[in-house]
Amino acid sequence: MSRLVLAFRCFFNILFHGALSDGALTELHLSRREAAAPKAAAAAAPAAARPPSDGALQILGILQRDSRLVDFLMEDIAAYSDDQVGAAVREMHDQCRDSLRRYMTLQPVIDGVEGTFAKAPASDPNAVKFIGNVPATPPSGGTLRHKGWRAAKIDLPTVAARQDVSVIAPAEIEIE
Amino acid sequence: MEPKYVIGIDLGTTNSALAYAEIRPDADPFAAAKVQLLGIPQLVNAGEVRDEDLLPSFLYLPGPSDFPEGTIALPWDAGRGYVAGRLAQKRGVENAGRLVSSAKSWLSHSGVDRTAALLPFRAPQGVETISPVEASRRYLAYLREAWDHRMPEAPFTAQQVLVTVPASFDAVARELTLEAAKQAGYENMALLEEPQAAFYAWIERHPDWRERVEVGDLILVVDIGGGTTDFTLIAVTESAGELGLNRVAVGEHILLGGDNIDLALAGVVSQRLAEKGTRIDTRQLQQLWANCRVAKEKLLEPGSKAKEQPVTVLGKGTGLVGGTIKAALLRSDIEEVLAGGFLPLGPSTQMPAQQRRMALQELGLPYAADAAITRHMARFLRQQEATSEHGAVRRGASGLACPTHVLFNGGVLNAGLVRDRILETLNSWLAEEGMRAVRALSGEDLMHAVSRGAAYYGLARRGRGVRIHGGVPRSYYVGVESAMPSVPGFPAPLKALTVVPFGMEEGTEVRIPGREFGLIVGQPAEFRFFTSAARKNDEPGDLIEDIGDELSELAPMEVAFDTGEKSSEIVPVAFETVVTETGVLQLWCVARDGRRWKLEFNVRERVQA
Repeated sequence: MSRLVLAFRCFFNILFHGALSDGALTELHLSRREAAAPKAAAAAAPAAARPPSDGALQILGILQRDSRLVDFLMEDIAAYSDDQVGAAVREMHDQCRDSLRRYMTLQPVIDGVEGTFAKAPASDPNAVKFIGNVPATPPSGGTLRHKGWRAAKIDLPTVAARQDVSVIAPAEIEIE
Repeated sequence: MEPKYVIGIDLGTTNSALAYAEIRPDADPFAAAKVQLLGIPQLVNAGEVRDEDLLPSFLYLPGPSDFPEGTIALPWDAGRGYVAGRLAQKRGVENAGRLVSSAKSWLSHSGVDRTAALLPFRAPQGVETISPVEASRRYLAYLREAWDHRMPEAPFTAQQVLVTVPASFDAVARELTLEAAKQAGYENMALLEEPQAAFYAWIERHPDWRERVEVGDLILVVDIGGGTTDFTLIAVTESAGELGLNRVAVGEHILLGGDNIDLALAGVVSQRLAEKGTRIDTRQLQQLWANCRVAKEKLLEPGSKAKEQPVTVLGKGTGLVGGTIKAALLRSDIEEVLAGGFLPLGPSTQMPAQQRRMALQELGLPYAADAAITRHMARFLRQQEATSEHGAVRRGASGLACPTHVLFNGGVLNAGLVRDRILETLNSWLAEEGMRAVRALSGEDLMHAVSRGAAYYGLARRGRGVRIHGGVPRSYYVGVESAMPSVPGFPAPLKALTVVPFGMEEGTEVRIPGREFGLIVGQPAEFRFFTSAARKNDEPGDLIEDIGDELSELAPMEVAFDTGEKSSEIVPVAFETVVTETGVLQLWCVARDGRRWKLEFNVRERVQA
């Protein structure tokens, strides 16, 4: 369940502040340097210096386009039955995961089985968070509770000079 | 420059693909050919180019409000004014008025001028339109550019290229395809029939194929693409102690395919929704259509036991959950649609319903009047009753052609249920004829087999591997008016002179004996032109007295004079037919003194049905 909360927090962070909060970054085991210099942004650099939030807006735009994630998050779903929500989520979950996989390579920080013993790779607070009865000097391992996620690769398309990434989804007008 | 690769191009109705194989001059002739697919860079979203191994055969002709500036640039052309491939297909769903689709079906539609700008069909006023030939040229040019972008060290024009066409394409459609390829900058190229390409792909996959078939076997290739269905018969023969392959028959052009099945399934689901009071609009139907295809594929996956698969159409506007429409595609829906519509079991004597012949037929693609693929198959196998040594096939007691093997091709046939229904139908017919049941040749990768097979054939043409012999897959006729006293009110009866016999081989020519015409040099002369896939016994010079249902009329042919060539001289000429090495049919008028004039198709005139 905590993953869902984290996911929501990230999206609202991006939605309202255009960037992930420090807290969310720590949870995600991401560092700012990494988030601000994805490959695609670097490639786009010669065209125009684009603000670092563009990458975040771009991924949000992609998730909206492919799976309508923003529509879903911004909708008040309190009134709908679990059945109805379930049907919609099933449809969008697949597409959402597909596009996440296409544009980012997500890997567990520790590739182990949750609930079993795992060695902590190195004492890096970005990558490993000790929880529970943590002694003064953290031990070399413990029970793996969450494998963690690491964006091993971000592969966002280059943004064209005239493209406005702050438009997450264009308005649609139908001519009948 | 010697070609380094052979390139096979499957120019499909809904998807195109490109496969290639390296030419290794001193390689072991029995070593595997190593055919590879080219990832085709294409716009998949505005501003995003990605490699995909299929290029959807769609063009989108954008207006100023379609895409933000700079987002439809290609890596090799920043200023491209139109979109081809995945993005075109996606955007076309939202705005069909600028979408060019099924260009290949239009290219083979003899009822329209295929060089006239008529696509997008039903384009609104003011929207640019292009001809079916131009649309094909753009797909072919796109593939050339994609190759040059990916393989800069081996320029496309220097390679040997094979472009596939449906076996049922007549001479005009073949010529137009060749024309489009020439305009697209193709130089060293030839045409190949798709079912043959699929069979080559099978050979490529099975280097031991000689142990899997024997002399006397007859292989039925069933090719069901997105929009067309094609049947071909290939006989296993023997010459000089070697197994040979002979393409002995091809079917007629049937505009009916997998997309029709998916649309029918969407229809069933939307009908069920309507009964519950939920109506869906055109765009939602598109989503339902796509989702039904996915649901169908899931239900028909090998080993799937599911009785139903949910199909969801998300709400419109920003409300996603609120407007979500839930439905389910049942396994029984698929079974009913196949059994009742597309693949009904029936006797081999049951022929498809006749094409509607209305005086005022709406201009559009001539879709098959009967959706039953099995009945089209019955007609195809029945048409082989009249055979000569050219197209001798194994036949049963009632004259039905009796294949020993079946090779499937096309995405629809990935589904075991579809294959089984065809096999079941076929086997019930064979049992009646007292023949043993067919064996299915296992093909894989049904989406890419045609382009892979074309690349393999490219190697075979260079002497490496087996070649299927076949020649011209249909016979052709020129209409001649009979010399009879004219009766007022009745047109002089028309007879058909056989000018191209069935099976005429590539690289040969034949002088039509027995008939000469007076040709006035420099004056337009037009000939009506007919074809038949069923009449295989007619020899060059044979006159058909009665042009019945077996002959269908193509675009007329006219004599091409050099500009300025003019005289009142009447020259007696005879016809001469040439089939070029690339598989193109040419008709010439030849005078006794050796002067010759080529006949060209006149596709600009509307053909009277």
